[in-house]
Amino acid sequence: MKLVSLALKDLKLLLRDRLGAFFVIGFPILMGLFFGLVMQGPQLGSTSKMKLAWVDQDQSELSRQFQTELSKNNSVQLEVDSLDAARDSVRLGKRAGMIVIPEGFSQTAGILWEPQPEIHVGVDPSRSAEAAMLEGFLMQATASLIGQRFQQPRQFLPAIEKAKEDLAADATVSPLTKGLLSTFLGSVESMVDSAAQVQGSGEGSGEGFEMNFANIKRVDVTRQLDPKTVGGQISKLRSRWDISFPQAMMWGILGCVAGFAISLARERSQGTLVRLQAAPLSKTHILLGKALACFLTCLLVIVIMSILGISLGMQPASYPKLIVAALVTSFCFVGIMMTMSVLGKTEESVNGSGWAINMVMAMLGGGMIPVMFMPSFLQQLSVISPIHWAIRMIEGAIWREFSWWQLAQPGGVLLGIGLVGLTIGSIILHRRQN
Amino acid sequence: MIKVNQIEKNYGAIRAVQSISFGVNRGECFGLLGPNGAGKSTTISILVGLLTPDRGSVLVDGQPPSKESTRIRIGVAPQALSLYGELTAAENLKFFGQLYGLTGKLLKERVSWALRLAALEDRAHHRVNTFSGGMKRRLNIAVALVHRPQLLLLDEPTVGVDPQSRNHIFEWIEKLKSEGLTILYTTHYMEEAQRLCDRVAIIDQGQLLALDSVEQLLRQHGGQSVITGTVEHVPPNKSLPGVCEHEKWRMESNNPIQDLAKLASDGFKFHTVQITRPDLESVFLALTGKRLRD
Repeated sequence: MKLVSLALKDLKLLLRDRLGAFFVIGFPILMGLFFGLVMQGPQLGSTSKMKLAWVDQDQSELSRQFQTELSKNNSVQLEVDSLDAARDSVRLGKRAGMIVIPEGFSQTAGILWEPQPEIHVGVDPSRSAEAAMLEGFLMQATASLIGQRFQQPRQFLPAIEKAKEDLAADATVSPLTKGLLSTFLGSVESMVDSAAQVQGSGEGSGEGFEMNFANIKRVDVTRQLDPKTVGGQISKLRSRWDISFPQAMMWGILGCVAGFAISLARERSQGTLVRLQAAPLSKTHILLGKALACFLTCLLVIVIMSILGISLGMQPASYPKLIVAALVTSFCFVGIMMTMSVLGKTEESVNGSGWAINMVMAMLGGGMIPVMFMPSFLQQLSVISPIHWAIRMIEGAIWREFSWWQLAQPGGVLLGIGLVGLTIGSIILHRRQN
Repeated sequence: MIKVNQIEKNYGAIRAVQSISFGVNRGECFGLLGPNGAGKSTTISILVGLLTPDRGSVLVDGQPPSKESTRIRIGVAPQALSLYGELTAAENLKFFGQLYGLTGKLLKERVSWALRLAALEDRAHHRVNTFSGGMKRRLNIAVALVHRPQLLLLDEPTVGVDPQSRNHIFEWIEKLKSEGLTILYTTHYMEEAQRLCDRVAIIDQGQLLALDSVEQLLRQHGGQSVITGTVEHVPPNKSLPGVCEHEKWRMESNNPIQDLAKLASDGFKFHTVQITRPDLESVFLALTGKRLRD
């Protein structure tokens, strides 16, 4: 109860200090939005037309009609390309996906009783929602093809003729079945012929059939990417906010750390620490109260940033992992806060040293520029910053799709830093008071 | 209630407290009188367990003050205002009340009582950093009392306080004293010690110089009263006791009223007469050779 009172008092003090609260919540949100907007590059997609590569290996009249049909859709932009170039452009994030029309497409496309030809579709995995939408568009365009086939019934005649020939040549079909099918195909031929004559005389509605039918095959366009490369890492991003909001969380947490580190020095300078120490509380109680307040504020920052990020399009891969990452990260920075709080004896010295350390940690750890965009020597150096591990863990839960085992590495480092920080802070504080 | 036995505390080469011993009885108002830097605050810090003495021991009701069960019986008003400026008066009282285990209705009642005591009821929900110095000082003491302690430690409670608030504080202390609260009061204002304390310990440079009731201290170390005046008429064949130069007269006396009455009956006449009685300032001067506020 006393611990909760101590923590609530600190939270109240933080919220009453408007500038302090801004640096803990408002400033990180601005940072998150800013970096998110900055990252709106070709690789992370845009909200305008879906840019797709068009690979036509059939080169037929029907495949061109199909392209024309699909191009009528305002949500897609087709760019004709070769297969390799199309695949590379998707892998590099230059296009959202590719559509491959294989050879032989025109032979059976749009004919209901024939197996539908394959349409190969490869979409950037980070844009799975758009992939589903694209399949819908392809269905729509295929339905138009079927409609067109019926608008020009004579197009069916060669296919019916071929079917009759195939039937006659097939020794595996029993004579009885052959007879039935021949009669059926003859009837279809007569019907199609009659329909063509009616259409030629200008009668009929002229409307085609509305059916959704297409044999869409998904093509994996990312499997050959090296996950260690920037492109490989980016390919896993689900939205531009996936990187910027973990960064924003870090800025909020750094604000918490700086604020709470000063608060201990402030308690000392304004004399309230004396009153706390004179109260029936152990020194551990006082420290834990401060730590709990900092921990809760760090968690609150992560929750706020997550909610905001999700509302903008961030899609955490695993919520349980994100919760664990938030808890571990908060614990780590509570430890850092405890050490920072004893670096100086005055508010000014704690504030100065605290922000200096924060800035170095942020710069090296990817709080400003994501680690993957840093030169390799800086990437190696960044492991000394707790921010590096915190972002890694949070990103592991949001978009890097870490397994629990993979999360354990940054988690272990963060827990270790937190424990060391708590121990150093407590020891120095106890010694100083004695 | 308090037993201080031969305590010593050094800060490096500075000997803040040197072998001080004293006891405080239940219901007594005990004063620690000394100039700034005499070791009063260090002694208070040792009494509440904030500092551990290098030597000696302190017991409050037979228990060391470092124990939580002892601390819960003590209320401290530190010399520096120990309040959260961003919290309201009521929030400060509530928070510190909670630390001493108060909850629910009792906490509410005690917060209201403390606000009444500090005459801050109408400012209960105002932030402390909008208060005047006197209001803060009153709240500082009220916070020490919110959990109904048995022992109240007041460290220079009137520093920087306007006369009105000072009187208000004196009246409180007298009331609390009459209700049986044990008070340990440190000050460098001799008139406060003289007015409020049953017994006074005079300390300087970490050493206890004298300890007794104010009356006894004055009697033992205060010296004689001093009568000064300007002379109007000296009867023939008589001479004034003391020193008289250019009509200005000065005389030391153990019984100034009686001596003046006798001089008047002998025919001496004065334009003005002033009696200066010994006080704790003169006691301090006699004990240390320097004034209290030097």
